[in-house]
Amino acid sequence: MSFLTPLFLLGGIALALPILFHLIRRTTRERTAFSSLMFLEPSPPRLTQRSRLEHWLLLLLRCLALALLALGFARPFFKEASTEAKPADGGRRVVVLVDTSASMRRAGLWDEARARVAAVVRTMQPGDEVAVYAFAREVRPLLSFGEWTTTLAADRAALVAARLAAESPGWTGTELGRALMVAAEALGEGEGRPTSGPREIVLVSDLQAGGRAESLQGYEWPKGVTVRVETLAAKTGTNAGLQLIAESAETEGQAAAVRVRLINAPDAKREAFRVGWVRTTGGDFVGEPVATYVPPGQSRVVALPVATADGAQAIGLRGDDDDFDNTVYVVPPVPLRASVVYLGTERAEDATQPLFFLRRALPGTARMALTVTVPSAAAPWPAEATLWVVTETLTAARAGALRERVLAGQTVLATPPNVAAAAALAPLLGQPALPVEEGRPGNYAMWAEIDFKHPLFSAFADPRYGDFTKIHFWNYRKLDIGGVSDARVLARFDRGDPAVVEFPVGKGRVVLFAAGWNPADSQLAVSSKFVPLLLALLELSGSPANPTGPLAVGDTVAAAAAGETATVTLAGGAAVSLAAGAREFVPSAPGIYAIANGVRRETRAVNLDPSESRTAPMAADELERLGVPLARAAAARPATPAGAAVLQGAEAESRQKLWRWFIVATLILLVGETLLAGRTARRRTAGAGALNS
Amino acid sequence: MNPETSRPAATALIDPKALMEIRSLELRARAVVEGFLHGLHRSPFHGFSVEFTEYRGYTPGDDLRYLDWRVLARSDRHVIKKFEDETNLRCHLVVDQSLSMAFGPGGVTKAAYAATLAATLAYFLHLQGDAIGLLTFDEAVRDFLPARQRSDHLRRLMLALEKPAGGRATDLAAPLERVAQLVRRRGLVVLISDFLAPLAELERSLLLLAAGGQETAVFQVLDPTELTLGFERPTLFQDVESGRELYIDPATARGGYLEKITAHGAAVAGICERLGVGFTRLATDQPLELALLEFLQRRMRRKTRGRR
Repeated sequence: MSFLTPLFLLGGIALALPILFHLIRRTTRERTAFSSLMFLEPSPPRLTQRSRLEHWLLLLLRCLALALLALGFARPFFKEASTEAKPADGGRRVVVLVDTSASMRRAGLWDEARARVAAVVRTMQPGDEVAVYAFAREVRPLLSFGEWTTTLAADRAALVAARLAAESPGWTGTELGRALMVAAEALGEGEGRPTSGPREIVLVSDLQAGGRAESLQGYEWPKGVTVRVETLAAKTGTNAGLQLIAESAETEGQAAAVRVRLINAPDAKREAFRVGWVRTTGGDFVGEPVATYVPPGQSRVVALPVATADGAQAIGLRGDDDDFDNTVYVVPPVPLRASVVYLGTERAEDATQPLFFLRRALPGTARMALTVTVPSAAAPWPAEATLWVVTETLTAARAGALRERVLAGQTVLATPPNVAAAAALAPLLGQPALPVEEGRPGNYAMWAEIDFKHPLFSAFADPRYGDFTKIHFWNYRKLDIGGVSDARVLARFDRGDPAVVEFPVGKGRVVLFAAGWNPADSQLAVSSKFVPLLLALLELSGSPANPTGPLAVGDTVAAAAAGETATVTLAGGAAVSLAAGAREFVPSAPGIYAIANGVRRETRAVNLDPSESRTAPMAADELERLGVPLARAAAARPATPAGAAVLQGAEAESRQKLWRWFIVATLILLVGETLLAGRTARRRTAGAGALNS
Repeated sequence: MNPETSRPAATALIDPKALMEIRSLELRARAVVEGFLHGLHRSPFHGFSVEFTEYRGYTPGDDLRYLDWRVLARSDRHVIKKFEDETNLRCHLVVDQSLSMAFGPGGVTKAAYAATLAATLAYFLHLQGDAIGLLTFDEAVRDFLPARQRSDHLRRLMLALEKPAGGRATDLAAPLERVAQLVRRRGLVVLISDFLAPLAELERSLLLLAAGGQETAVFQVLDPTELTLGFERPTLFQDVESGRELYIDPATARGGYLEKITAHGAAVAGICERLGVGFTRLATDQPLELALLEFLQRRMRRKTRGRR
């Protein structure tokens, strides 16, 4: 029998105590009545002689209890055959997960990761099965179980080393949770035969805080799979990262500045940084950098004026130890163009007419350049128009011409101010006639039965914004659209008459408002719903959509519409090859990508995943908190055989738990001691009582 | 015949333990006295007749009963005849009833022994026609019965003796002084106590009695365990009077204790010796007849000494 904590055996010294107490005559609780104490001196307790030790059995019980207690605390265990070398019938199944995320680009980390993997592979027994997976945003197998088993045992380490040598950290973010799930499931697959040996995942990673281990939340970790973490510690202390702040509606007015968030790691040793524009090819700052001071664990937002120098499409950070996340690529927003052609006869300054409100509702923004043109009657129409707004009474010729445009895919918004103008829309719609009369609501009319599913009204689908009852309509044109089979009524007046009707015409469409927004007809123009409604109409009519949010490496970028071919080039010259017929691509490195397809040219900035900059190691118990059983002792595997023996002892002890039996025996002995002592004391007092009476 | 030779055989004596089985104190006293009297061949005590002391001139107001008519007839003088005493002897028993007297691990408490002793003496003297008084005390005087000769007085006396021991201390001086104050006539005072109290005032009190012309006899009653400290195990010893507790190991304490109690006993005996007071030490396992014999012998010696 061996002991885990033999120092506790020193507690056996306490055995001297009961012997001593037995040698000292008991300080009695018994009382003897005596006539007078005037001739008596108090006597000190004295040791009885050794030969006069009383209550041998009691003493034995007490000594035994103490001895067992000391033994129990010393954590005894029986030595077992080495558990390390014990070949389970199937051997171990191990998945080695190697982190290849961008944070592994930090100095020295990747070399250390390779060394760790090699060390792990070296400890494998011939019967073990090993697979090596690289993970970042996705999990890729570098070496499968099958390859491992088919390789000669002697060549396995070399094979793993060769596979790892071909690998290098990429630019993508880390999905640690997903990687662990994939690995656990790979271990679970028995590949046809049941695995009875221990199953283990060896995680070789820098365990950065931004590793997204949270996705393990709610995942039921398979039983019997433990995770051993080989944490890689960065040699450089400081890591600060840059993150581009997306332009929001509030910042649109000050488009002359680009704002970046500078995040410093909690364990950083540096605090002073410089931020400025750099060229995508690297090199020094273009223009004056902004010096800033960020304490560890905090972040600052730095506003930089939009670069004027050509080629400065990136913002760089200097003063940081690890530069993998020190550049963000910025593409200045290109304003979108949209043109509205107004076919009407009124003057623009007439505040009673629709044009007056249309011009003010569509002023154009930093993102979108809007032009409202009113062609004179004789002048030719512009070639490109996003939206046609018709208020005049169309002649048959103009209606026909307009119909041509609509058939080609353009959108017309018609708001006939009177019955005549409404009736003149019939040729545009391709109808022989459009029966219409003046609708005269008694007091006022309201929109009802609004089709919130339609893109025109979908922005108002939320009940908070869907209240149109505040908009009163005084006059409207009562349309009879019974003859138009494909007309879609998007809104009706409260009397049931159609208020907004969409007529699909060829590739395009005509949207008809039965009442105008001018004050003579309604309150629509002065309501808060007017501008969103017009913008929705513009979007409906094919105005280029806002580009999606910032792109990160690994995101899928749409490059071309159906049937088009696109070429994508990374700034700096390298062309990105797209698979034949592929309409999207996945950027593998940050940078500025120029996308050219048949219709348009577009540049997109692709940046590093911002969470990759959070390189501080995650809390030690974070994985355990997520339900991942960690093999802690194994992580601190000692190098010396003595240390290994201690560890083995600890494992054997924790398996055998002999100390429990010692404690149980102690308790039993103590109960026996109590009973025996109680009986002895009773007997003695009974004897003393007999003497006294 | 010398009473010394007429001491009853030890086998004929009553063991105090057996004697204490008799519930009635009076019967107990009678048993002792009668057993004792049976053993005597001759009673040396005839009783004392009324003794004439002197004549004195009559003064108006004197009781005419004591006028000597014969002298008046003879010499025509008015003379009052004075007598020594009405009774033979006035004996006052002074009995300690403090709590320490209640001690008796062997079955016979000192209090019971002392009460029996007192009752025996009382009964014996009563038989002779003497007047018996009683004073019991602990830290103060408890009961006082003046000396009377009547037989119902004896019963009252027995009742007072049968009261249980009490009191938290023993004060030897106060009862003796009280007796000296109350008893003006000469007589006998018998003091029965364990004398387990400071002796500072004892000598003065006894002297006071002697000065009052009282003949005094002292009996010290002790338990055999008090004389030997016959305990074995160390225990907490509790003083029955004060309640004080001490951890005592008899094996170690015995030597010092015996030394002290012997010295104490010697001190009491020394005081009695100096004052010519008869002192008898009795252990509660000694037969009471011995005490009675001792008492009588001492009185005999005293009488003969007085007559010489």
